[in-house]
Amino acid sequence: MIELKNVSISYPLPDGSPRPVLEHVNVHIDRGELVYLVGPTGSGKSSLLRAMYMETLPQTGSVEIAGFHSDTMKLSDIPYLRRNLGVVFQDFQLLPDRNVFDNVAFAQYVTGNRGKLVTNKVLHVLSRVGLSHKRQRFPHELSGGEQQRVVIARAIVNDPWVMLADEPTGNLDPSVADEIQKLLIGLHRAGMTVLMATHDYRMVRNFPARTLAVLNRRIVEVDPKSLIS
Amino acid sequence: MLPYAIKEGISGFRRSSFSAVASTSAMTVALVLVGLIAIMMWQANEVSDWLKQRVGEVEIFLDDTSDDIANSLFLRAQASPGVIEAEYVSKEAAQEIFRNEFGDEATVFFEDAFLPASIKVRVEPAYINSDSLNLLVAEFSSWNRVDEVVFNRPLLVKVQGNLRLLSMIGGAVGLLVLLASIFLVANTIRLAIYARRLMIRTMKLVGATDSFVRQPFIVEGVIQGLIASLLALFIIWVIHVVVVAYVPQLGNPDFGSVLTFGLAMIGSGVLLGWVGSENAVRRFLRNVSLH
Repeated sequence: MIELKNVSISYPLPDGSPRPVLEHVNVHIDRGELVYLVGPTGSGKSSLLRAMYMETLPQTGSVEIAGFHSDTMKLSDIPYLRRNLGVVFQDFQLLPDRNVFDNVAFAQYVTGNRGKLVTNKVLHVLSRVGLSHKRQRFPHELSGGEQQRVVIARAIVNDPWVMLADEPTGNLDPSVADEIQKLLIGLHRAGMTVLMATHDYRMVRNFPARTLAVLNRRIVEVDPKSLIS
Repeated sequence: MLPYAIKEGISGFRRSSFSAVASTSAMTVALVLVGLIAIMMWQANEVSDWLKQRVGEVEIFLDDTSDDIANSLFLRAQASPGVIEAEYVSKEAAQEIFRNEFGDEATVFFEDAFLPASIKVRVEPAYINSDSLNLLVAEFSSWNRVDEVVFNRPLLVKVQGNLRLLSMIGGAVGLLVLLASIFLVANTIRLAIYARRLMIRTMKLVGATDSFVRQPFIVEGVIQGLIASLLALFIIWVIHVVVVAYVPQLGNPDFGSVLTFGLAMIGSGVLLGWVGSENAVRRFLRNVSLH
């Protein structure tokens, strides 16, 4: 389902020399799995996710996700890969000039769907995240937790195989964070592959699952119960 | 139902009214400047043609000859290639012109009609240069009953030199204005696109192709260009009315020219909006980071 083989990622420093972030990383995640990706801020969690949605192409190695292979795919295939992924960030990235319905419908229009099909799908996912009654509200009229629910609705409206969540609760109070986490775990239970990057170990302990840690530019598997805040 | 790109493009005005107004204003200013330069160059060309025609007049002085022969020479001159019009000036007419020019003092010369009959020839602007006129002079001089053929060569050379210099200066200023206008429009559109980076990022994040991202911006750019060209035409019309009130000699152009100019301005506006927005989004997409 998700397969990273020997992936190395580095970014250029101002003097032009490369700063390695990940080195020779191997990851295998099966379809329908829930996996946490932990590590301190700046350890390379986001870089790993970026490689998965092909925002960053690895310097070495290969990434295979949702049937797309970084070695063989063209740049013009990347949009079609992203339609099979749901991506959620810490900052909500909602369009402030569109209401909840339009923010979610936006992702459907991109895939070419129009009319009633869009309306039905959007209403369905809004009810899944418990926001159908607020579909006419604008982002600034919603709480942080509600905004993140809209982002999750937008991420799942295209029925993706994989959900990549990069610190999805980073901006939220613990109680609201728990709600969002429950929502993501609900998606996993419904069959979606979920990879959640976080540095909030409390979340991992609350809902334990397979946990990968980024340590010294490598990925290692850790026992979720052993994580200390 | 309107296609998505058109709906999004139109709603872009409402969503980002400030940047839409800024882009449209920049394009209007650019089109007014370019339009005025075009009109000035067209007027300068008209004046230059008129001036060259006057300076490039060829006079064919005839020997003492009968009216029939003079008339056939006149018809032959009129039919010569490059000749726009010819005017036969008889001995009597020449004398009359002389009298009008010199008044009472002219009577001293009127014992005989000493001025020869002549044919005044005006040539097409393309023929008004020393080489072509020399060929015409050689042709006319070879005819029987032609005494002498002349044109004002020194004045023609001077006028041509000055006109060439003026066209070069005009062309350079026009080019500078055009480049400055394109620069202004390109930067304004780029800023307008940058102001909507969140929308572009989100589109990319949910799997929009680059062409899908570009379409609404192109539609918006085309509409802005269309509005800008109509505003520019209105402003130019107002300027024209004011200028003609002070310089009536400029007159009003014919309907065909107005139509051509209007269509050219609208075409330029649409093209400017299209190319400007397409280019700005393309550049932004090349460097956009999703997070």
